Amino acid sequence: MADNLPTEFDVVVVGTGLPESIIAAACARSGQRVLHVDSRNYYGGNWASFSFSGLLSWIKENQQKTDLSDECEDWRKLILEDEEAIPLSSKDKTIQHVEDFCFGDQDSAEGVEEAGALPKLPVFGAPAAQGETPGPGKESPAAEGIPLGSQPSPAAEGVEKENAAVESPGEEPQSCSEAARAAAGDGAGAAPGTGAAPSTAAGADSAPQPAKTDTAPSENAAQEPKKITYSQIVREGRRFNIDLVSKLLYSRGLLIDLLIKSNVSRYAEFKNATRVLAFREGKVEQVPCSRADVFNSRQLTMVEKRMLMKFLTFCLDYEQHPEEYQDHESSTFAEFLQTRKLTPSLQHFILHSIAMVAETESSTLEGLQATKKFLQCLGRYGNTPFLFPLYGQGEIPQCFCRLCAVFGGIYCLRHAVRCLVLDRASGRCKAIVDHFGQRISANYFIVEDSYLSESTCTNVCYRQISRAVLITDQSVLNTDSEQQVSILTVPPLEPGRAAVRAIELCSSTMTCMKDTYLVHLTCPSTKTAREDLEPVVQKLFSLNTEKETGNEELEKPRVLWAVYFNMRDSSGVEKSSYAGLPSNVYVCSGPDSALGNDCAVRQAETIFREMFPAEEFCPPPPNPEDIIYDEDEIEPEESGLNNSPETKPETSAEESSSEGGADVTKEE
Amino acid sequence: MMAIRELKVCLLGDTGVGKSSIVCRFVQDHFDHNISPTIGASFMTKTVPCGNELHKFLIWDTAGQERFHSLAPMYYRGSAAAVIVYDITKQDSFHTLKKWVKELKEHGPENIVMAIAGNKCDLSDIREVPMKDAKEYAESIGAIVVETSAKNAVNIEELFQGISQQIPPLDPHENSNNGAIKLGRQTSQTGRRCC
Repeated sequence: MADNLPTEFDVVVVGTGLPESIIAAACARSGQRVLHVDSRNYYGGNWASFSFSGLLSWIKENQQKTDLSDECEDWRKLILEDEEAIPLSSKDKTIQHVEDFCFGDQDSAEGVEEAGALPKLPVFGAPAAQGETPGPGKESPAAEGIPLGSQPSPAAEGVEKENAAVESPGEEPQSCSEAARAAAGDGAGAAPGTGAAPSTAAGADSAPQPAKTDTAPSENAAQEPKKITYSQIVREGRRFNIDLVSKLLYSRGLLIDLLIKSNVSRYAEFKNATRVLAFREGKVEQVPCSRADVFNSRQLTMVEKRMLMKFLTFCLDYEQHPEEYQDHESSTFAEFLQTRKLTPSLQHFILHSIAMVAETESSTLEGLQATKKFLQCLGRYGNTPFLFPLYGQGEIPQCFCRLCAVFGGIYCLRHAVRCLVLDRASGRCKAIVDHFGQRISANYFIVEDSYLSESTCTNVCYRQISRAVLITDQSVLNTDSEQQVSILTVPPLEPGRAAVRAIELCSSTMTCMKDTYLVHLTCPSTKTAREDLEPVVQKLFSLNTEKETGNEELEKPRVLWAVYFNMRDSSGVEKSSYAGLPSNVYVCSGPDSALGNDCAVRQAETIFREMFPAEEFCPPPPNPEDIIYDEDEIEPEESGLNNSPETKPETSAEESSSEGGADVTKEE
Repeated sequence: MMAIRELKVCLLGDTGVGKSSIVCRFVQDHFDHNISPTIGASFMTKTVPCGNELHKFLIWDTAGQERFHSLAPMYYRGSAAAVIVYDITKQDSFHTLKKWVKELKEHGPENIVMAIAGNKCDLSDIREVPMKDAKEYAESIGAIVVETSAKNAVNIEELFQGISQQIPPLDPHENSNNGAIKLGRQTSQTGRRCC
């Protein structure tokens, strides 16, 4: 390490998930000296998002169960006699049952192995490989605009495409892995002669003319969605920002409020979720939720429109009308809905898509609260209550980290912490020992749950979240606009299961490549993620690539690639459940299974207030002139520019804007 | 009235090469020997005319996150240009420049305009990096290159003018913000509220 890390701080934060990052920002903002570390080489922990290749590396890492090195415990020598060490875990055990599938691959496991072997910089390698290898076309027939060289292609294009779509057993996997390697720059040295023959024989991309390879599939795009191959996904891997958690921001939720209040919102941009969908009787339908939606809806009858509006109006201020629900407080929301004048489809919409509460468990009051929350969030930014951050949810922790850094916080990724050092006399934690054996002291320590050792967590009972991420070729509900961000709740397919939440993202959210959709499925776990979620995937999507199975299957979006995994849900764990933690060590939980982010924000604020009861939590940044300019030479004069309506509102929003002053100086 | 285009510019380069000083000189026309490592400033802005447009640079500082190689990918998002700074009196800083370029290519937007600034050219008597080396390297990656002195205000304006000229004109058919929402600003969106 070129630079020496200071060894004394006020607060040390271990883990860069959302709650830790908010706390780090809040502490730095209130003048604390903050050290923020993460043992991984990326921000966010289980809140992170990855490019496609990054996700493949993550998958591989989590599939390797072997704990490579049983750490040498040299650091124990550094612990003095009047001290005690609380070792931290060196291996993240929060992710389990990771299974990934490349459809169109017969032998998916093999394909995965190849793709997972990508080096860390596949994006980087891609252009290099194309430019430098003598016969790049041979290795990567799908590569854009690269002549296919000596590959003869006997059959006509159209026929071949048919073949490729219908049946390409056994050969496409090779094509996938070949292309993956080539795209990764790894194929540069690989023997092209051997690999090329079978991969091009697969026919999917071997157009007879150079440079036609990529345009060919789009020729019949009018009818069918563009056929995206695995190799294209690998090659365009950097266009993906795939979140490990799938959440949306309620437009009047705690996170939005905090982003605005702290001015962290300036670091991010958002998209509105455009549709709320329901899955009823085997079909995906759009749920009308705003007044305009209800009136414009073609699926509702006049009577239904009136019923729905009447009910939603009641929900907005249900507290004022206790007589309407009093008698049903002990029953479930679903039962309550049955007593209202609502048709079955309206009941379904309200229960599953608007309130999004459990059919068999949630009480009338919970349902009414949830419905009200949904309705209150409508209209602030758009037609649904939800926002999604461009480039994925993984941006949000990074934004808070930036605020922390801007106020002097020091950041170290790839920085492992071996142990907490406890002072026997006071019973307080006084330092950490890092992987260099360096002792770093502080007054407060924030540690994310996954960093705690098994012995610390031995009495903790964790829940699990089942997750699936799919890359698909079309939307679950096609409309005139391709660019939709949709949330869909699939009610339990059998009793005793949880409803599954699906969020479908389009390419304009900057989370997936053009002509694909990224679908996130989430539910609380009952079994492995695949067992929990695959039935829903089969209902909504077509997994078939080899054989066409009737027209119904053809209409469904095709899954091009999928991964399932279980993630530990450490939310809601009492601190007292952790064994032997001193009072000045605080634990942050990983992501919870809820749709919103209130849990993380609430936790961060609670911990911050316990540490610094007198300090304000993430107050708005001070006036820019107060921080940077203590010189009198710069008066924030109003220039012509500043008076323009476009710039006026922003000037005050920026921490250090000097367009006025600088421009004036320059022009004079 | 001329259209204002907001252009995000991110700064890269080793700690101590003068990234903040360059911005300070550009935005405030000011140089401070004891500039404290950028506390409390997220980005600075300055608007300059370019052809029929006004370019409003939003210049992001690393906020020190480069110090232990922990820059977040969000730092690069949506950048129109990057200024990569080295110190002409430190060969090491020129070596790491290449690493920054590599990182930029990995995480940054594809069509990002790259500008290399060899700072501290007022100290050319203790120069370690020949201009020729920088020129050759810049050419090989298609970047602009100038030697600058934030201290003496040499080539700072020129650096940003060079960037301005490299920014492709706005495509009128392309919706520049793609419907993205910025929070906390006055949005013209009225929104229809239910009930």
